[in-house]
Amino acid sequence: MAQAVLLPKLGQTVEEAAIVKWHKQEGDAVRKGEVIFEIETDKAVLEAESFFEGTLLKILVGEGETVPVQSVVAYIGKAGEKAPGKTASLKPATAAAQAAEPPAAQEPEPRRPAEDEPPAPASPPSVLPRRADTESRPASPPPRPPEPVPPPQPAPARRLFITPRARKLAEASVIDPARIRGSGPNGRILVKDVEAWLEANRYHERKITPAAKRLAAASKVDILTVRGTGLGGRITVEDVERSIAARPRPLSRMRQTIAQRLTRSFTTTPHFYVTVTVDMTDLLSYRQELKETGQSFTVTDFILEAVILSLREFPALNSVCDGSTIRWYESVDLGMAVGLDDGLVVPVIRNAGDLCMVELHDTAQDLAARAREGKLLPDEMTGSSFTVSNMGMCDVDNFHAIINPGESGILAVSSTRDEVAAVDGRMQIRARMKITLSCDHRIVDGTRGAMFVNAVKAKLEDTELWRSLTL
Amino acid sequence: MEKFDVVVIGGGPGGYPAAIRAAQLGASVALVEKEALGGTCLNWGCIPTKALIASADLYERMRNSAALGLKPGRVGYDYAEMNVRKNAVVARLTGGVTQLLKANGVETFKGTASFTGRNRLLVARRGHKREVQAGRAIIATGSESVRPAFIPRHPRVMGSRRFLDMTELPSSLIVLGGGVIGCEFACLAARLGVRVTVVEMLDDILMVLDADLRRALRRHMQEALRIRILTGEPMKDIDAGEDGVSGKVGGKSVKAEKMLVSIGRRPFTERLALEAVGLNTDETGALPVDEYCRTAAAGVYAVGDVTAGSTQLAHAATAQGIAAAENACGERPSKYETLVPSCIFTSPEIGSVGVSEAEAARGGLDVQTGKFSFAALGKALAAGEAEGFVKWVARRDTGQLVGAQALGPHATEMISEAAVAIRAELTVEELGRTIHCHPTFSEAWMEAAHAVHGECIHAAPKHG
Repeated sequence: MAQAVLLPKLGQTVEEAAIVKWHKQEGDAVRKGEVIFEIETDKAVLEAESFFEGTLLKILVGEGETVPVQSVVAYIGKAGEKAPGKTASLKPATAAAQAAEPPAAQEPEPRRPAEDEPPAPASPPSVLPRRADTESRPASPPPRPPEPVPPPQPAPARRLFITPRARKLAEASVIDPARIRGSGPNGRILVKDVEAWLEANRYHERKITPAAKRLAAASKVDILTVRGTGLGGRITVEDVERSIAARPRPLSRMRQTIAQRLTRSFTTTPHFYVTVTVDMTDLLSYRQELKETGQSFTVTDFILEAVILSLREFPALNSVCDGSTIRWYESVDLGMAVGLDDGLVVPVIRNAGDLCMVELHDTAQDLAARAREGKLLPDEMTGSSFTVSNMGMCDVDNFHAIINPGESGILAVSSTRDEVAAVDGRMQIRARMKITLSCDHRIVDGTRGAMFVNAVKAKLEDTELWRSLTL
Repeated sequence: MEKFDVVVIGGGPGGYPAAIRAAQLGASVALVEKEALGGTCLNWGCIPTKALIASADLYERMRNSAALGLKPGRVGYDYAEMNVRKNAVVARLTGGVTQLLKANGVETFKGTASFTGRNRLLVARRGHKREVQAGRAIIATGSESVRPAFIPRHPRVMGSRRFLDMTELPSSLIVLGGGVIGCEFACLAARLGVRVTVVEMLDDILMVLDADLRRALRRHMQEALRIRILTGEPMKDIDAGEDGVSGKVGGKSVKAEKMLVSIGRRPFTERLALEAVGLNTDETGALPVDEYCRTAAAGVYAVGDVTAGSTQLAHAATAQGIAAAENACGERPSKYETLVPSCIFTSPEIGSVGVSEAEAARGGLDVQTGKFSFAALGKALAAGEAEGFVKWVARRDTGQLVGAQALGPHATEMISEAAVAIRAELTVEELGRTIHCHPTFSEAWMEAAHAVHGECIHAAPKHG
């Protein structure tokens, strides 16, 4: 009997996901534990494994389609078996059922379709994300409201009224007929309109190489819009490729999320910034000292710890404000921004205040490594209460970060440099680093912000503190 | 002090065309050449080797002409006579270059040039010195054979230049280095009956080529020319003495009467005193230039083998020389051509241009290939030269021809058609529809274009 393959549940806050790639095609044999498709949420790409052995009978959700979690996306059964129809099975589990029950029991009996071979009840769920370690994580605080991200909305194509022959001529000429004004009834584009357009744009004076024309046709580039740089203005493959590269492309889901969240934060939260210079000389030599005894910490570890300690002193910075109410978070869930090739994610160190230095180091290393591999689960990237963005490795003097929505501050950490500094009335070369706090001015005023950054600075400069925390 | 709009340093295939082009554009031009006009190409490279190969080729064909129904009798050769003819060809061509420069009003100085400052050059010859002022300078000093220290200095061990001066062939020869020069000389000598061993440190000879070409060439060299080819190991314990040259390659010992060292050429910038114009060579000793042949120093251009990333081909130097001259004379800046066909005069010959299959794979370019064998071509069979094949490399999405390779009769001539097609950005279909004369070798290109989409008329369809 055919087994339904479900879009796996991806954690507390994810309600829908897109299938980005099918590793198996209809008719392919599937082994248990084999990766059968990849899912993309607004935060990550995950691989889904099969819980069944058999033949992939039917794919219901194609690549690029977004569906709610727990939807039936495919059927697996015996080779030659008939898969149930799509209509009856694409219904997702209700949101209430999802929230109330563990995944194993929550899939409702699929309604029997009026067909000869009904699907088997899909229980247990047929796929799980490969890194299914959600259970092993410490209890997380109640999730903050997720950010609804609307799916990319391509501009609806205007219906073009054009005669078949005119369309054929436009296609053969590799031009976009949408730019032509039609003279037929209802503005319908006629062959003579296309011809007049070509004439008006001196189409026949244009020179184009055969390969460039083929490429333009294949990539739907209007060759009237391409500037030719070949001998005598001839359009070459390179010219068409330049046009293709300059076309608008949809942002990745990750970039759309970044765009949406940061625009909202930057336009609705009144930011203000305060910068201090931290003398890192002593801390760096202490770090070296620790290294020689076999204890390895990154500079980031010390910065994170200094921020955690300072947030305890200034709970207002570990809060969220909606303009009329302010809510202090119960725990410090520290976000750390991790730059990727094309994008940025903020994995969260939960209950960071409860971790000792070694635990903090290990957690930060693990999250950063998995972030770079794209292996973080969505839940691991939501619900931070304050964020640190470290660009120390990027050789920068100073920068201002944008507050993550749902938080009231973010600390921007810049590069440590050898600088001439006045120490006890004398010039010395010191390793110095600028840190800049961005905070929500509705909650945090200048004085408080200044006190907070100075608290972080004082901790980083206090070697005795680090001795007590690392022994 | 004499003043010139343009001074060209080096009279090889990069330098003398630059001088002539600059003169055509109305500049007053001087050319400084330390040895012989025509440079390495004309005097000790392209031309003299081809003169000798012409003799060797005919000799080999005559020896094998029974298959064509000839009765050639006893065929022999006189290498000294071949050499005399070669020298006559070279002399005639260098004379031609001298005449051309003169006819274009280019002043030629014999000697070495060195910069003494911005726009100033010192031309020295046997203690005699003169300083000239140069509005623009074009460096075209070429390259010289690499001769590392582990190779003994001995009359039996020589570079390609000294090899060409020999008036007698050795009975056996070690060719150290299986690159273009090494393989050409190895084939030349083997065709004249010399027992040849090629030693190449890399995994195969001519690593720049795609594997199918290497395989076909290596097979012919080993089986038909009886050349011993040792690859993947360096030659060690090289010893040269009265009774010959010997060494060890891996576990095998190699011995021959003489040894040709052809392990590469390096840019030649000695005595230019580049520091006087603030120029530095890169780690390979080459001069970096931009796409207009401009060096980092204002008004100083460089072309040919001396430039970084050079293909070390005479015709590439010529193309650069012309572009540099036009740019130096204030023409609208012209970039030099980067689509450089290359020719290898081995037996069989090889021509290639554009992207190879391996390069496409490395660059992530999705390509298809179409191949056609001379064995299926009427003209090749009729001519009794049916070894080898031609191959197109085309983009899968648009069918654009991006690369071509040919191995076999007249491959070095045939490659030019491919170069025109690729430069004009023709597609597989366009080339396939171009009528080619029948019966000719060039038909192979048309058939190979058809083969890209499995539409070859003269090849059985491939199944599966």
